[in-house]
Amino acid sequence: MLSLSKAEKSYIQAGFLASPPSRADGRALLDFRSVALETGIAPLANGSARLNIGRTTHGGGGGTEVVAAVKLEVESIDEYSDGRDGGRIVCTVSCSPSAYPHLSSGALDDLQADLTSLLHQTLSHSSLHPHNLGILKNKKSWLLNLDVLVLSDAGNVIDAIFMSSRAALWDTHVPRTRGVEYKARKGSKGVEGGKADMDVDEEERSGFNTLVIPKATDFELPDFWDEGEVLDGRNRWPVAVTLNLDSPSPQEAPTHFLDATAQEEAASPLKLLLVVSFEDAGPAVVQGMRMLGPGELTSSQLKELVKVGETYARNLFIALNAKLKAEDIRRNQTARERFELHR
Amino acid sequence: MGSRVEILNEGGFRSDGRRQYELRDMSIDLSQQGQADGSAVVTHGLTQVLVSVFGPREAKMRSQTIHDRANINVEIDVFVQVLQQDGALLQACINATTLALVNAGIPLLDFVCAVTGGVHSTSPLLDLTFLEENDLPNVTVAVMPKTGKVTLVTMETRLHVDRFEEIFRLAGDAGKVIHGEMKSAVRSRTSTLVTAMGSGSRVVGGEAAEKDGDDRMNEY
Repeated sequence: MLSLSKAEKSYIQAGFLASPPSRADGRALLDFRSVALETGIAPLANGSARLNIGRTTHGGGGGTEVVAAVKLEVESIDEYSDGRDGGRIVCTVSCSPSAYPHLSSGALDDLQADLTSLLHQTLSHSSLHPHNLGILKNKKSWLLNLDVLVLSDAGNVIDAIFMSSRAALWDTHVPRTRGVEYKARKGSKGVEGGKADMDVDEEERSGFNTLVIPKATDFELPDFWDEGEVLDGRNRWPVAVTLNLDSPSPQEAPTHFLDATAQEEAASPLKLLLVVSFEDAGPAVVQGMRMLGPGELTSSQLKELVKVGETYARNLFIALNAKLKAEDIRRNQTARERFELHR
Repeated sequence: MGSRVEILNEGGFRSDGRRQYELRDMSIDLSQQGQADGSAVVTHGLTQVLVSVFGPREAKMRSQTIHDRANINVEIDVFVQVLQQDGALLQACINATTLALVNAGIPLLDFVCAVTGGVHSTSPLLDLTFLEENDLPNVTVAVMPKTGKVTLVTMETRLHVDRFEEIFRLAGDAGKVIHGEMKSAVRSRTSTLVTAMGSGSRVVGGEAAEKDGDDRMNEY
């Protein structure tokens, strides 16, 4: 994206191939910049997270900043809508023009479309589908909208997008619902089982038809203020790791490095993206793989890279999990303290 | 849903616990965002807006430049990103844009401070939330506080002309209150920067520079 001169490019590449390898900010080839993560930043959303890779100092700016938010909406399952039994997930990525000030609006749209299709195809796959997105079988379900906003890009935006998506999905709570049925009472329509809080379409049923076996046609929230239960399969959401490669010859193993800055990305455009999911104690599952940029790899080189990439992804996964658990504790702790003060 | 929530109850409290003329909690963050020359994140209650300013710089689209003159064509890009929406969106955008422009060092005649107002039967309310905006006729007023001049009055709902003057005047006064908040945010940010700059130079020169900076800031 950034345009560098040939001299700058070869300078950066020479740094990678030197021994010991050197990068502009002094990192090792496999070092990540510092990552800042905060969950629950959008109280109006069902789950949210804000992630920043490589922010300069406390209160400083710069770095790759990404905000992800999950919003649940109710969908009817009928021939007019796209609703599916058991719910569905839709992901979108939008890039703020302030993140890419040198791109025209057409190029920005292209970039957004690329990132959206990458995120959506990976996360909406049936192997990752959570089991608690249904409301009423074959009638109503939750549509999970995951929206990711790229606020600034200082390199490695794809890793940031997947990390923040995982964090936002981890933070997501699904409101608890209860099916209600309409029963005919002395010839007039009445509702049993509490007030229906939601504005939903009622199925056409005659109040006089007392011979039909009643079943749930609508649902309600038993507790309006309850956040709900956590989204099922929260440990399955994958992390992505981008291995930036220098153009290798087919005989030798390509040198690779992680977490490229914008300049490093411009100097080494060939990348291998791995999206890996780790269920607890299970083997790693590759949920997605892309090769981006000009260049080629032999299949044995690819095999090697996938093997090391899985190790990097596992380390990233463990570190991210530790932070997510710490965030949970931090937020619950503040809530507990606030209640204690009011006692 | 709107009819179940009381806009203003007998005790004089609104649906979020505020009084009639009370403004929401306002927070201003002027720290740098991305590569922008100036940026500001303004929060009114739950409405949060981020504005980034790039400029002055050369125009990106050649069609927007002037070709028959020899001067340098500059453009200032203002990008507004809505992070959270809970009513009073235009108010937040205007306030954030003013602060971002100030943060970018672009010379302005004055701040532009905006506030929304609405009328609930005969009672005027300030700084409306989403629920209130949907139910009440509402107007957004932007003022330049030094001169008191009004730069924007916009309303897309119907309001009786007898009620208009009161809410218009109130909104103008509220704009001056918001100006106070914005001014103190800019001052604290500037004094942090001045201290950081002054700490590098010699003690005598540094102190003199700080004093000058303070005097100039006090003019506003």
